[in-house]
Amino acid sequence: MFNLTAIREQTILNIRDFDGWYGQKQILKNINMDIYKNKISAIIGPSGCGKTTLLRSINRINDEISDYKTSGEIIFEGKNIYDKDVDLTLLRKKIGMVFQKPVPFPMSIYDNVAFGLKIHGIKDKRKRDEIVKLALKRAALWDEVKDELDKPARELSGGQQQRLCIARALAVDPEILLLDEPTSALDPIATQKIENLIEHLSEEYTIIIVTHNLAQATRISDYMYFMYQGELIEWGPTRIMVRSPKKQLTEDYLNGKIS
Amino acid sequence: MKKKINVDFIVSLIFRIISYMTFLVVVLIIFIVIADGVRYFKPSFFIEYPKKAMTQGGIGPAILGSLIMISLILLFSIPLGLLTGVFLSEYGSKSFIGKIIDISVTSLSGVPSIVYGLFGLALFSITLGFGTSILSGSLTLTIMTLPVIASSVREALAALPRELRESAYALGAKKTETIFKILIPAGKNRIITAILIGAGRVIGETAPVLLTGAVFYSTKLPKSLLDPVMTLPTHIYFITMSYGADAQWMAKATSSFLLILVLVIYLIAFQLRKEEKNV
Ligand SMILES: Nc1ncnc2c1ncn2[C@@H]1O[C@H](COP(=O)(O)OP(=O)(O)O)[C@@H](O)[C@H]1O
Ligand SMILES: [Mg+2]
Repeated sequence: MFNLTAIREQTILNIRDFDGWYGQKQILKNINMDIYKNKISAIIGPSGCGKTTLLRSINRINDEISDYKTSGEIIFEGKNIYDKDVDLTLLRKKIGMVFQKPVPFPMSIYDNVAFGLKIHGIKDKRKRDEIVKLALKRAALWDEVKDELDKPARELSGGQQQRLCIARALAVDPEILLLDEPTSALDPIATQKIENLIEHLSEEYTIIIVTHNLAQATRISDYMYFMYQGELIEWGPTRIMVRSPKKQLTEDYLNGKIS
Repeated sequence: MKKKINVDFIVSLIFRIISYMTFLVVVLIIFIVIADGVRYFKPSFFIEYPKKAMTQGGIGPAILGSLIMISLILLFSIPLGLLTGVFLSEYGSKSFIGKIIDISVTSLSGVPSIVYGLFGLALFSITLGFGTSILSGSLTLTIMTLPVIASSVREALAALPRELRESAYALGAKKTETIFKILIPAGKNRIITAILIGAGRVIGETAPVLLTGAVFYSTKLPKSLLDPVMTLPTHIYFITMSYGADAQWMAKATSSFLLILVLVIYLIAFQLRKEEKNV
C-alpha cells in the first residue's frame, strides 16, 4: 500500500493489530493503518461498520463506555496510547475531538473556548484572551462573535456552535483533531463553511474525519480509509483510491453499490 | 366504517369529560380555598400575633416559623441531595453501595409522612435531646425532602446529552471538573425546579411538624434552633381541631395564604421548566 508520496510524508499515528469489543461483540478487527502528519484523513464506510468506534479509540474517549475492550496498539509519539502509564489528560490535550452533535457547554462563548485552558493550567488572563481570540479566528468564528463573547453559547446557530466546538478543541493546541461526522447535523451552507475550515486547518493540524458522505470525503481528504464490517478493507491517497481501488468491495462502495 | 368512527368519538369524549372534570376540581379547590380566605387579608394579618383565642390578630409568627423551617430544610437538603444525586448518577449506580443508596432513595419517597414524624420524634426530639424544636422539625423534614432532591438531581444529570460529558473529557477534563463546572450548571434549571417542587410540598407538611417542631401558640419569637415555632399548616390544624366557630376565619385565611404561597412556588418552578425546554 505504500507509494512514493506516502513514503516521503511523515506518519504521526500508527495503528497496529488493533481490535475493539463491546462486551463479547467484536467491532474492530485487526486494524492496521498509518495517519500522516498535517494531512486530512477520511475514514469512510457504511453506517455501523465501526468508524466512530475506531475514532473514539484514538483519544480513548471510548474508555467511558464500560464494556469496551481493546487489544493491539495505537502508537503516538513513539508510545502505545493504551499503555498503563499514559496520562489521559495530556493525551486528550494533544488529540482533540469534535462530536457529531454540536454541544456547547452551558456558559458564555468566551468561557467555552477558555474551558480547556483552565484545565491545563493557563491562569494568566491576558494570555487566555489571546489564545481564545486565536482559536476563534482559526475556527473562522471570530468575526461573527467578537462583539458578543459574553453571550451564552447556546444562542449561536447550529453551524456556529459546531465551529465553536472546533475552536474549543483548538484552544488547547492539539496536534491531531478528530472529527466525527461534524457536518451531519448542519445545513449545506454551514457544511460548506466547516469543510473550508477543515482544509485550512490541515496546514497546522492533522485531521482525522469520519464521514459517511463519500462526496465530502473525496472533496476534502488527502487519505482515505475504507472500513467494512469492522475491517479496514483498503486505504491510501484519496485521489489514487477513488480512481483505482484495489479491492472489489471498495469499488462497490465507491460506486454506491454498498451503503 | 361508520360505527367505528362513532366509537372513537364516544371514547374520546369520555376521556375529555373526565380530564375536564379533574381540571375543574383542581380549579374549584384553588378558588374556593383562596376566595374564602382572601377576604380576611389585611396588612396586620401578616404581622400580628393571634389574639383573643385566635379570634383576632394575625399569623405573623406562623409565617416566620414556616420560613425559618423551609430555609433550614433547604440549607440541609440541597447540598446533601446534590451530592447524593451526583453520586448516584456519576459514580455509584453500578456499585453495591450505589445500588443500596438507589433502593433507599426510591423507597424513602413512598414512606407516609407520619412515619417520618415518628422517626424524627424518636431520633431527634428524644434520643438526641433536641426536644420539640425548629431543629428537630427541620431535620425531620430534611430526611423527607432529601430523597426527592437526590433522585431529581440524578434524573437531571442522566438526561444531559452524552456528548456534553464526553466533550469535557475530550478536552482533558477530570471527572470532578466535568461534574461541577459542566454537568451541574447544565442541569441547573431542572435541579432548581425539583428543589422548588420539593419545597412547595414540604412547606405544607403537617404531621411530622406536629410531632417534632411545632407549638400551637407562642407569645415569643424563637431565640434559638432548640425553640419550637408556630408554622402555617400546624396553625390551621390547631385552629380547626381545638377552637370555636369564632376562630375559623383565621384557619380559612391561613389556608388561603398557604395555598397562594405554594402556587407561587410551583409557578416559578414551572416557569423554569419551560425555559429549560426552550433551550
Ligand atoms: N456502546 C455500544 N455498545 C454496544 N455496541 C455498540 C455501541 N456503540 C456502537 N455499537 C455497535 O458497534 C458497531 C459499530 O458502531 P459505530 O462505531 O458507531 O459505527 P459507525 O460510526 O461506522 O456507524 C455497530 O454495530 C453498533 O451497533
Ligand atoms: Mg458513527
